[in-house]
Amino acid sequence: MLKNLANEKEIVEIIFYISGFFIVIAVTLILFFYFSRKKIIQKELEKKDLEIQYQKELLSAVIITQEEERKRIAQDLHDDISSKLNIVSLNSYLLTAPNLTENETLGITKTIIELTSKALDNSRKIAHGLLPPVLEKFGLHAGIEELCLEFSSSKVVEIQYENKTSFDITDNDRHLHVFRILQELMNNSLRHGKASTISIVFEKKNDVYWCFYSDDGIGFEMKNNENQKGLGMKNIESRIAFLNGKITFESSINKGISVVFNF
Amino acid sequence: MIFVYLGYFILLLNFFLYWRGFSKYGKTFQYLVYYLTILVIAQVSMEILVLQSIDNLYFVHVYFIGQFLCLGFFYKSLMKTKTQVAIIQYSMLAGCVILIVDYTINPEQFFKFNLLEIALTSLLVVLYAVMHLYNMLLEKKQYYYLTIGIITYLLASTVLFFVGNLTIGLSDAVKFLTWTLNSFLIILFQLLILVEWKKSFYKKAIKN
Repeated sequence: MLKNLANEKEIVEIIFYISGFFIVIAVTLILFFYFSRKKIIQKELEKKDLEIQYQKELLSAVIITQEEERKRIAQDLHDDISSKLNIVSLNSYLLTAPNLTENETLGITKTIIELTSKALDNSRKIAHGLLPPVLEKFGLHAGIEELCLEFSSSKVVEIQYENKTSFDITDNDRHLHVFRILQELMNNSLRHGKASTISIVFEKKNDVYWCFYSDDGIGFEMKNNENQKGLGMKNIESRIAFLNGKITFESSINKGISVVFNF
Repeated sequence: MIFVYLGYFILLLNFFLYWRGFSKYGKTFQYLVYYLTILVIAQVSMEILVLQSIDNLYFVHVYFIGQFLCLGFFYKSLMKTKTQVAIIQYSMLAGCVILIVDYTINPEQFFKFNLLEIALTSLLVVLYAVMHLYNMLLEKKQYYYLTIGIITYLLASTVLFFVGNLTIGLSDAVKFLTWTLNSFLIILFQLLILVEWKKSFYKKAIKN
């Protein structure tokens, strides 16, 4: 009888402990779930904040480039066209003066003709720089060919351009971005990279266009550059974002740079 | 019976593998090695006592308290924030005080399964392991398999140890059923420790 009682007491004790055990497990589980959720949501928020921050930076980069471009155009117009047209207007005014000898009239007319043709030339150059007519009329391939020609005419750099695909001219809005990216990359290669050869290859794989760009310039340390992207780089990134593409840079000191992107 | 010896074998293998890295991987790793050492000592001495037909039950307390202390310090060294470290520190201290008080009041508990001791030590270690899991949520996995092993084994074995005092009174035929289950769980646990070594330390050990 006594033993039975002790036994029962033991059983009750075990039941008591086991229910306590499950309560502790349940509480631990709930707490774990609660805190995990909180942690994950917080992380998500941080991520979103970062994204917004990044987008803001891109936006400001776009605005800054726009302003700079405006400044450049204004300067070009002022220096190359306005100044010349000014002299033309002065000269024309001179023509209205009385008692001009024939020789003087001839001289003034000649100056006017020279200056207007120069102004015309310059305005064409400016327009060309803003948007190459070839690109619009004959598509990306011709546009890049012309770009390469312009760059290699400087004799500083040799450009190997290979196109293994064809571009649809109706897609020109997108191709303009590609053109600008290449323009920026080539400018960088020449200006910062001091490259002597540049290679550009276009390929089409599974309906996606790929561009492989590389130079043999001085390159840069990837780690150092990661944090301080210039305006040009940000510009390229926002264009890639427009194209729904991906871009990867690879570079190290004295090894040049290689860039791959798709669009 | 084969389960028991298979469990011992993997335990000894783990013990050997982890001992080789004792001085290489820092303090956290050393607590783990101490834990394995206590497991080996407990198992070996219990086995010897059984062979000499001496009651070996009080070695269970070495196992529980040793496990509690080693794994407590192990997880304490893995914690990331001061609050977490403080939680572990104070809960370990409180656990020890409660056990000491319990044993001074009822010293005869030393010769059977002490339910309070089992519950307190196992659940606290599980709590620490869950805290570590929480820390690993968004970060690199560290001692992941070990932690999974600790949580599953301790939860399952705790219930088995709870009914331990009852099984003593059972007939021999069914008496060992729970302990066979336990040795099966031990094999799983030790295998997970082995997997942990393979995932985290195998390559480092090969390099050296």
